[in-house]
Amino acid sequence: MPKIRKVLVANRGEIAIRVMRTCKELGIATVAVYSEADRAALHVRTADQAFFVGPPPSRESYLVQQRIIDAAKQAGADAIHPGYGFLSENASFVRACEAAGIAFIGPPASAMDAMGEKTRARANMIKAGVPVVPGSTEPFASLEEARAYALKIGVPVMLKAAGGGGGKGMRKVERAEDFDSSWRAAKSEAMNAFGNDAVYIEKYLEKPHHVEIQVFADQYGNTIHLNERECSAQRRHQKVVEETPSPILTPEMRAKMGEVAVKAAKAVNYVGAGTVEFLVDVHRNFYFLEMNTRLQVEHPVTEWVTGLDLVAMQLRAAEGEKLPLTEAPEPRGHSIEVRVYAEDPGRNFMPSPGKITYLRVPGGPNVRDDSGVFPGYTVPNFYDPMISKLSVWAPTRREAIARAQRALSEYVVKGITTNIRYLKAILAHPEFIEGDYDTSFLTREHETLLGVEDAKLSEMALLASAVHAYQRDQKRAKTLPAASGQGGGNGGVSPWKLALRTRR
Amino acid sequence: MRYFTKQQGQKEAVPVDLEPLGNDQYKLTVNGQTYQVDALMLEHGTMTMLVDGQSYSVEFEENGDEVGVLLRGQVNRIDVADERRLRLRAGTAAFSVEGRQLITAPMPGKVVKVGDEVKEGQGLVVVEAMKMENELKSPKAGKVTELFAKEGTAVENNAKLVVVE
Repeated sequence: MPKIRKVLVANRGEIAIRVMRTCKELGIATVAVYSEADRAALHVRTADQAFFVGPPPSRESYLVQQRIIDAAKQAGADAIHPGYGFLSENASFVRACEAAGIAFIGPPASAMDAMGEKTRARANMIKAGVPVVPGSTEPFASLEEARAYALKIGVPVMLKAAGGGGGKGMRKVERAEDFDSSWRAAKSEAMNAFGNDAVYIEKYLEKPHHVEIQVFADQYGNTIHLNERECSAQRRHQKVVEETPSPILTPEMRAKMGEVAVKAAKAVNYVGAGTVEFLVDVHRNFYFLEMNTRLQVEHPVTEWVTGLDLVAMQLRAAEGEKLPLTEAPEPRGHSIEVRVYAEDPGRNFMPSPGKITYLRVPGGPNVRDDSGVFPGYTVPNFYDPMISKLSVWAPTRREAIARAQRALSEYVVKGITTNIRYLKAILAHPEFIEGDYDTSFLTREHETLLGVEDAKLSEMALLASAVHAYQRDQKRAKTLPAASGQGGGNGGVSPWKLALRTRR
Repeated sequence: MRYFTKQQGQKEAVPVDLEPLGNDQYKLTVNGQTYQVDALMLEHGTMTMLVDGQSYSVEFEENGDEVGVLLRGQVNRIDVADERRLRLRAGTAAFSVEGRQLITAPMPGKVVKVGDEVKEGQGLVVVEAMKMENELKSPKAGKVTELFAKEGTAVENNAKLVVVE
């Protein structure tokens, strides 16, 4: 196709802004779409044009294919970049774009079909000779049938949404008696997140590492891999920290896994950026888990160590350019990414939407913050809690950890609760520092990561809380008369009486 | 001035006696120990505190009746009330896991499921926020006596959901 001149980004938050940044650098105009909840969002203000697409729930806005395509037509966009999540892995959307004469920046619908449904992907990979985690390849007709299968292969098992991603619709079942409730929860979450409640079952591997390989293909069948990302620091199957190179991979394993990943991509005639996820067991055997047919959240760590701009490569691949390189570049230095979530680790990671009253973003050498927020912005309740991702680069892993710690210590978000302190605790944990942490790490070290209480500090906290309460009471007593228009000084009148007067 | 402070997860409230000495100085007594405290409130909910020659940088995060206190990397969630507020709150028993327990929404969200099981730690309500389902558990064994939450409806932060007695 001819050069892309205008791109509609069918997404929100940090990824929409990330894509727009590269577009701007390449002289490509940008179009945003936004829901009612995102009218004041940063991606709307970053784009050259912005179109309203509906009410806050994504099923009524960002996921309505026709509205996105209408917006693209109205704006005169010649391509749509889907970001991640939302419509990024929706084959019918790719077909709708094609039908409307708009280029979809991503793989062809056929590759998504082959990899999108996880059960079909597993079947395709078995056929292509790629090792997969033992489990079901067909959806189950009933709860009874699913339960019987789980008992046959033996608990623990993993339940996974066939249309899934982002840890939604995913449950580990450790005891047979928990199967029914986990099954229902996984189905309900899958339906809400993906509009598809099909759930399949995999054998749970003990203490596996989650290692994924970034692949890239052009329209002419040239496919390469761009090394791995270690993503074992996960909570509720959601990645929290990612790094590259993986501390457990040898150059031989990297070459072997890269080769298998390329084989998997070629088997489905893949085009553009994709990721092949693997589980690596304690014996360093690796199994295909799934393929993400899109750009991923953690792509910055790959960009840091390869020096490539994956979004620019996606745009060029969509324009029909050939791959600029023929094999994986040697990893250069080390990169770590941490995901800043609007959630409260101290309260079982409850989401914490709300207004950001103060924000200080880290900077300095080799620090990158991909964020979708700004001071005064209200983090809405309708979308994922990830508000920013902080990534760093350094020559060695140890230096990268120190740099990530330093950057996190500069990060200040007020008004909402974030997991910044929790991220610092992860990076300071001996197991993480040693580089041998598996997917059970965050669950197993839960208590340690939340901080063992120091009795002296607890007592100091009580003192601080009393001073805080006292000062708050003093402030209220002072401000009430002013609010009632009676001037300063309460003249000994109870602040409660004054408060009542102001309401009259 | 006496404040009652209760750390999250603890059953007993600890009284803290506070005497302002002026010029950001306080005399504070807790657990039978008296401290001379220099506490200077800064911007954005931060405070610098000097106690026995030790310097503490303190961050506060308010959430309803509770305040999150962060110092030297430790997070403490403390419910603070003076004597009058403590009396007012006797009815809601916020200072105890005995008696009547009111479960409120810890964030704005949508009620997905309402249960009526009442064992300690059993799920009562599932609230969906930011695309994740969060189960709120019963703090005690008992009976569900009041139900404010309806499935499928949106709730605000701190909205009343369920009462367990």
